Amino acid sequence: MSSTTTQSGLARARRGVAPGGSGALPGKRKSKLSAQATRTFFWLLFPSVVLLVLIHGYPLVYAAIQATHDGDLLQTGNFVGAQNFATVLTSPAFWKAAQFTLWFTIVGVFGSWLVGLGLALLLRTKIPAGGTFKVLLLLPWVVPIVVSSTAWNWLVATPDSLIPSLFRNLGLGTPLFLADPTLASITVMVFKVWVSFPFMMMMISAALASVDTTVYEAASMDGASPWQQFTQITLPLIARSTYISWILMTIFCVNDFPTIYLLTGGGPVNATTSLVVLAYRTVFQDFATGPGVAIAFLMTMTLVVISVILYRQIRKSSVE
Amino acid sequence: MNATSEQRRSFSRRGFLGLTAAAAAAPLLAACGGGSASQGGGGGGAGGTIKFWDMPWATPAYNDAAKSVAEGFSGANGAKASYQIIQWNNFYQTFSSAIASKTGPAVSTGGGFQAFQFEQQGQIAYADKVIEKLKANGQFNDFLPGVLDPFKSDKGYVAVPWQLDMRVFWYRKSLFEKANVALPTDWPSLLEAGKALKKVGAFGFTTGAGAGNNYANHSMIMMMVNNGGGVWNKDGQLDLMNDRNVEAMEFVLELVSNGIVDPAAVSYTTDNMSAQWKDGKAGYGLFQVNVPQRVGDTSGDLLVADPIKGPHGDKATIVFPNNIMMYTNTPSQEASEEFLVYYLGQLKQLWQKKLMSALPVFKSITEIPEFADDPNNVKIVKDWQPIAKTFAAQGSTLNANLAALDGGQALNQFSQSIITGKTDAKTALQTFQSGLESVLKK
Repeated sequence: MSSTTTQSGLARARRGVAPGGSGALPGKRKSKLSAQATRTFFWLLFPSVVLLVLIHGYPLVYAAIQATHDGDLLQTGNFVGAQNFATVLTSPAFWKAAQFTLWFTIVGVFGSWLVGLGLALLLRTKIPAGGTFKVLLLLPWVVPIVVSSTAWNWLVATPDSLIPSLFRNLGLGTPLFLADPTLASITVMVFKVWVSFPFMMMMISAALASVDTTVYEAASMDGASPWQQFTQITLPLIARSTYISWILMTIFCVNDFPTIYLLTGGGPVNATTSLVVLAYRTVFQDFATGPGVAIAFLMTMTLVVISVILYRQIRKSSVE
Repeated sequence: MNATSEQRRSFSRRGFLGLTAAAAAAPLLAACGGGSASQGGGGGGAGGTIKFWDMPWATPAYNDAAKSVAEGFSGANGAKASYQIIQWNNFYQTFSSAIASKTGPAVSTGGGFQAFQFEQQGQIAYADKVIEKLKANGQFNDFLPGVLDPFKSDKGYVAVPWQLDMRVFWYRKSLFEKANVALPTDWPSLLEAGKALKKVGAFGFTTGAGAGNNYANHSMIMMMVNNGGGVWNKDGQLDLMNDRNVEAMEFVLELVSNGIVDPAAVSYTTDNMSAQWKDGKAGYGLFQVNVPQRVGDTSGDLLVADPIKGPHGDKATIVFPNNIMMYTNTPSQEASEEFLVYYLGQLKQLWQKKLMSALPVFKSITEIPEFADDPNNVKIVKDWQPIAKTFAAQGSTLNANLAALDGGQALNQFSQSIITGKTDAKTALQTFQSGLESVLKK
């Protein structure tokens, strides 16, 4: 077969044309098949579309109505346009909560990633009872947050709790971990990292398991140091998992209500009030439904933007 | 890259973005989603089945007993009653969504000001006929003085009280003996007692403002009311900046600056507070009825203190008259009324079984041995109940706006800023007033 024939055959094959055929279906037959296929697709998709509309569409539309009205949970109230959004965006409490949410998310995502990465690398080495350690390390993620937040409260809440007592006995004073605004913020973030690192550890462990060890052997033979192997091989090979875990953890952190609310209730003096806590308190404690739902809308839009940016990073890392 | 892989990639991207958007939409769905409301049981005669929703007011034994009482109802037309516990978490959402979908209760207990919120929305059935029936059967005259009046609106009785959640000062006797100081009778002696208690490692104004703890909120309002002030004036208008309130908050700030308030109190949950009382760190402070049982110290060392006098001679505390309300969505209004009269008539057994952590509203219950044998209870009824005012003070009628005050962000932030001492009274009150104005229904 000549080169020209080969090229032509490949081109025909890509178009799905049989040898000897013209590549064109008779007009009527094509449109009949197309209409049938469209109908079939429609009916196959119909139940899922209905389900999605019911589960996501209705609440979203209802939330949009609430965000643009001055009603409450029972009555829609009067249409106020973007007034609720304006109220929220001009409120210092909103920006303070946004600032805390930003820090909480940054520390939550990268803190848990660093701890998870370190432990995943450690567990990859041959250590005795590695499987048992792995299971034990999952406990913070597995234990219900109500239980772990209560345990943390008893560890740090009063001057006579275990950790403040420990500090006192070491001559480091008596830190008020939940009563001082700065310390309370740090405590909540550390708690979030503690709760979340097992998730990161599992994601990274799974990604590391798929890396061929011969790559490292080859790198060693080429004289690469352990640090170079980590930065030039390990990190790029787990990049896709890393970006996915960052997206998910960002969503988990921004939406995280119980970790904060159960430990500090958003206090002291709003120091640990995140946007989701502020939305909850606005709707259910101040009974201001419109502004509360407006906060939730703004959070959603922000999360979608962040997710799209991070997803582009995933695509980029895949191509590379 | 061929067309098929590009198509798959593109589909995958859209799918992924869709999933991401769905996950990101979670706060929206959480914010607008309704709580579930269970259906009441079927059956019942012509009067139908009255759905009675109740809150976990005390230990689970309370709800078992209340269920037994409710289900013992048998109306004239064969009406029955079903019983459902509603958890405090998101209770207003649970009630709202159930009422909106017509699956709510016919009769319920609930938040202290819930009846007024639902009255505004036209969902409450007025209890005037119940009051008439209570007059006819003699129970009306059994109410403690003043407990019914706050529920009377222009249109009728919005609800009927059934228990009083009173705030009173408690003290640990052994700590006062150890500190060799007398019990406070007024504000200056409270300051002196606090200083003396501090020397023995205890706090003289125990409170808490952590997650879910409203005792600091209640302590602040109590001190205002105790000085003849309050959040509202006599006409029910917001009046936070009055001189009495400023004076009261300046006094509390003085307690804070003298170390009489625990510096960690701002983060204390009610469990942390109870632990402080149990561990002998709390010498004196505002708490509820039945503190010894609550904190697990029934040695007799925890006692109810005398009411204290403000600098202008005022004596007052605050009380939350918890109530039972009827809704317009009922199988039979007559059966709802019949059930409510029946239930009020059965309340005595809840105190006889010592299941309640609140005062009864009926004089006859305050006289039963199971209640009157406890000197703390007797003291509260004798000394504190007569001076108790509601959150509506200096006004007298309860209303829906009080729900936004009690547990709202403005009051929480105010209390926390006061007990951390990082403010002055006027600034804190001004911020409180602005915050409250922004959420109150005009």
